[in-house]
Amino acid sequence: MTLLHARGLTYVYPGGIHALSGLDLRIRAGRRLAILGPNGAGKTTLLLHLNGTLRPSSGEVLLGGETAGYSRAALSAWRRRVGLVLQDADDQLFAASVAEDVSFGPLNLGLDEDEAARRVDEALTALRIADLADRPTHMLSFGQKKRVAIAGAVAMRSELLLLDEPTAGLDHHGTKHLLAVLERLEASGTTLVFTTHDVDLAYAFADDVALFDGGAVLAQGAAAEILADEALLKAARLAVPLVLRIGLKARAAGLLRDGEALPRGKADALDLVERLLGEIRPG
Amino acid sequence: MVMSSVGGTRAGTMSPVDRAAHLNRWRHRSLTEKAVLALGMLALAIALPPFPAAPMVAVAMMTAALAGARVPVMVWLACAAGPLGFLLVGALSVIVRIGPGGLGLAPDGLMLAACLMARSMAGVTCLLFLALTTPTTDLIAGMRRLGLPVEIADIALLMYRFVFLLGDTALAMDAAQGARLGHRDSRRRLRSLGILIANLLPRAFERARRMEIGLAARGWNGEMRVLSRRTAISVPGLALVLAAEAAVAVIGVLAS
Ligand SMILES: Nc1ncnc2c1ncn2[C@@H]1O[C@H](COP(=O)(O)OP(=O)(O)OP(=O)(O)O)[C@@H](O)[C@H]1O
Ligand SMILES: [Mg+2]
Repeated sequence: MTLLHARGLTYVYPGGIHALSGLDLRIRAGRRLAILGPNGAGKTTLLLHLNGTLRPSSGEVLLGGETAGYSRAALSAWRRRVGLVLQDADDQLFAASVAEDVSFGPLNLGLDEDEAARRVDEALTALRIADLADRPTHMLSFGQKKRVAIAGAVAMRSELLLLDEPTAGLDHHGTKHLLAVLERLEASGTTLVFTTHDVDLAYAFADDVALFDGGAVLAQGAAAEILADEALLKAARLAVPLVLRIGLKARAAGLLRDGEALPRGKADALDLVERLLGEIRPG
Repeated sequence: MVMSSVGGTRAGTMSPVDRAAHLNRWRHRSLTEKAVLALGMLALAIALPPFPAAPMVAVAMMTAALAGARVPVMVWLACAAGPLGFLLVGALSVIVRIGPGGLGLAPDGLMLAACLMARSMAGVTCLLFLALTTPTTDLIAGMRRLGLPVEIADIALLMYRFVFLLGDTALAMDAAQGARLGHRDSRRRLRSLGILIANLLPRAFERARRMEIGLAARGWNGEMRVLSRRTAISVPGLALVLAAEAAVAVIGVLAS
């Protein structure tokens, strides 16, 4: 089922920069989508179209099959269904304390105070920042702010959550933990879309990839297919993920067993390499 | 428990006043208790004859801030230095008088100056207590409960948040200029400062624009409603405050 469909989006920033040119994109329920493109490709601009912040100069966005409107009421309904976490957490935090800040979205949904308080507790616990609940938002580290911003979106339990570079600036541990949180959120029924320029992350975490450059989607499809296409990736100034490349080389050399899947994460790749090393030097 | 979790936090441009307000031991005492203490004592210091009431108030409020709320002494002194210096100069001008024979002591000058100093110092300790134990945002929330219009409270809150964002930006720009030798001599330093100030305004607008997008994405519809944790008023706490004020009032009247 298509949740959101962007059709022929074109957008020119004041000043004449063509950020999107005739872009088509489909977001399907339950399929984790990575919007992959280099710096300046227009990823952030696209996300701002997908929640109605920017209005395309031509083209349209379809929400659950219907053309989305830009009236106050339509936008408010849109943002109930589609959440957005911006690249810079400072753009979304404003309240005196972390817990207060996270309560902002749920209250805007019209929930009563008890339900809102429950959502806040849940979101803070899910992101493991319950101990920061009373901290003022300007007394947090970068990674902590990021988690608070995501908690604010998680507490709204939207159908679709758009995340702009969610792991940028997070350390290894923080990234792993965030992905686990997002997986749990997905299990509770939220479809995830995230932008990144990190091919390894897209390969390890996304079901589908939309390869994006110069304001248009070059290709959209299953992650393993798109990310194996060297020529296509080159056109977007990107390269085949290392883990996938190892898997493809192994397969080309006939080293994979019948029906053995390509390695997906670093751990899989390491297992494969270890197994192959063991076969070379038995005992 | 707040104090212990502070290690490792990058505090940005947070001022010592703000830090003290957030991290003192009485941070989570109810605003009512703190406001009744500070404003009640302030009223006593103004209304009663200055001796002995004003010194009593000053001692009580210093004790409350330093021993009760455990505001760091250095922060307290740094904050008090400004107003106290100002007071001293003011008091001197009361003591000294320019007469026909040049400089001389004003009649009653010493007494007058002592009264002035005692009252003003008491006032300063009351306000410092409130400023150093209660975050600005709590004060805004409290005024909102007392009937400050929602719009004004929201604007005050956003301004407060922006002070930190812009402060961080200014600091970062300053560091970036320094790293590229923008502070090498006084001429360059001045030029760098000019560039910084000129760039801060457009950045402020850009920030505000992005914040608007960010809040709209969270369903903002014109009102900044959040769940604030309101600490229940502690009855013994409030009783203690009122008892202390009653004591100051009684002694202040009888012993004057
Ligand atoms: N507010 C703006 N005004 C004018 N031009 C803009 C504005 N924001 C972005 N652009 C331009 O639009 C193009 C797309 O920018 P966008 O921020 O969407 O890219 P991005 O893919 O998100 O990049 P990054 O990976 O660096 O975040 C760029 O050429 C950029 O310079
Ligand atoms: Mg971007």
